[in-house]
Amino acid sequence: MAQSGFDRRRINGPEESFSPTYDDGGDIQDQWKVGRPRVGRNPTNIRPIFLQPGLIDQANGSAYIETGNTKIACAIYGPRQSKNVAFHDKGRLNIEVKFTPFSCPRRRAPIRDAEDRSIAMAIHQAILPSVRLETLPKSTIDIFITIIEADGIEGCIASGSVAASAALADAGIEVFGLVISTSAAIVGDDVWLDPTHQEASNSKGTFVLSCMPALGTVTSIWQNGSISPSKVVTCMDTCEKQCADMHAVVAQTLRESTS
Amino acid sequence: STISKAESSYIQVGLCSDPALRPDGRALTDFRAVSLETGTAPLANGSARLSIGRNPHDGSGGTEVLAATKLEVETIEDGGEDKGRVVCTVTCSPAAYPQLSNNALEDLQHDLTTIVHTTLSHPSLHPENLKIIPGKKSWLLNLDLVILSDAGNVYDALFMAARAALYDTKVPRTRFVEYKAKKRGPAGGAGEGMDVDDTATEGTSGFDTRQRKHAMDFELLDYWDEGEPLDGRQRWPLCVTLNLVPGAHFLDATLVEEAVAAVRVLVIYAFEAPHVPVVQGMRMLGPGEVTSSQLKTLLKDAEAHARNIFAGLDAKLKEEDVRRNQKASESFEQR
Repeated sequence: MAQSGFDRRRINGPEESFSPTYDDGGDIQDQWKVGRPRVGRNPTNIRPIFLQPGLIDQANGSAYIETGNTKIACAIYGPRQSKNVAFHDKGRLNIEVKFTPFSCPRRRAPIRDAEDRSIAMAIHQAILPSVRLETLPKSTIDIFITIIEADGIEGCIASGSVAASAALADAGIEVFGLVISTSAAIVGDDVWLDPTHQEASNSKGTFVLSCMPALGTVTSIWQNGSISPSKVVTCMDTCEKQCADMHAVVAQTLRESTS
Repeated sequence: STISKAESSYIQVGLCSDPALRPDGRALTDFRAVSLETGTAPLANGSARLSIGRNPHDGSGGTEVLAATKLEVETIEDGGEDKGRVVCTVTCSPAAYPQLSNNALEDLQHDLTTIVHTTLSHPSLHPENLKIIPGKKSWLLNLDLVILSDAGNVYDALFMAARAALYDTKVPRTRFVEYKAKKRGPAGGAGEGMDVDDTATEGTSGFDTRQRKHAMDFELLDYWDEGEPLDGRQRWPLCVTLNLVPGAHFLDATLVEEAVAAVRVLVIYAFEAPHVPVVQGMRMLGPGEVTSSQLKTLLKDAEAHARNIFAGLDAKLKEEDVRRNQKASESFEQR
């Protein structure tokens, strides 16, 4: 009787769901072939970013970021006391990522998924080196990231880390610098920055670089796929340059929101 | 494991000094002894047992990983794909991590599985011979890695064991078989002793005149033959974990050395053609930072280390191949 997917505590939708099909002559993206230039923008153009800190009053710090179709909300509670845990002299950073059921073309079940944790770990590694945890003994900083709409895993990781870093600044938690992340995909011979889900699945490899442009250091690299070492170096340089540009924008947004 | 500040400082000062000093006297880029045996799980299609730093006298200690591949037939309706699928799972034996609770152990398993699975199941490494019947059946390759004990450097061990098990994997040879429905009288239907695959006619319309009026299936060419080697066995990558302390990097860290390293950079290298390196994955773990120029130097160093590890592992895999296959068939012929 009870099959997987039948949740007694919720009102269940139909067991199988399909996204509606539209008769608009086919997506331009579907007709893209290897070797053709990128559709809609230059390889090194990222999509415009909307970042708004302080939207969630209840939390100590929060940020909402939108890049193209990716929409992520981040709320920070902390630093607060770690309950029921042995003494630790450095603070703990706890990240929880949740996809809303309507964030992907195929409905996601509300239960905690394997993919949630991978993205949480990637964002954790991106912002961990920036937080001054040694000033917060016995404390935990809880970061809750809700992905309202997702367009590619790399995009979620990159936007999620920027939102988390902006929210940390909004919460007044001491950080060494703002963490900015850029995602990239290697398509053919080119490096395309800020790929959509479609572009990333057509690529040979994907790359997410998180760095602190204020200090000139890299906090995390997350690379998958088959890329030659020289291409990795090119990717790193392109992403770092893009991060430096984005940093100015994010810092300006934070200044405007606090004044 | 948590170590005291005094011990951590003692090890770090040793690693940063010139010449560098490690607690067990190795050089910064020395590996502990790596031992490998293939074919340890006879029920699996390919298997390997690898240990790093095992005590040579009584075989205790060290990081030990068991890897085994198992092939299952999967139908397209159950989520399979025409070209087959590769799924990797890492399990941590509770004996390897006695200090971790169940939840923490599951989280660790999940993190290790994510790194191994996203790297090895990437389309760029997909083997060609996992097809059976296009549109109906294909092979699902399950690679299961079990960590029996952890004495540091578990990522390198996982990828080495995975490469060895995949190198050892044999895919049974299959042949496409058709059963044609015999034309009988008004009674029609299946004859005695004939195996008609009824699922082939499910969901098809009686008005569909294009539908073939026979069932498609496959059979093994030779029941006793293990099969052909898995395609792309030279392509499987290896991981090099570079542990960073201020001013130096070192390989093959023990547990205490891992606690001391500010950040670890995992670079996963594959060599498609000999001497053509390809980066199949990169991760950074830990609260430290690096500059991008340091990363570029580290990439080059990792490539050199990866070449050495590849050469050593390949030599051992060929030796194992000879031991198990050639010698076995020679002794069979002489019996």
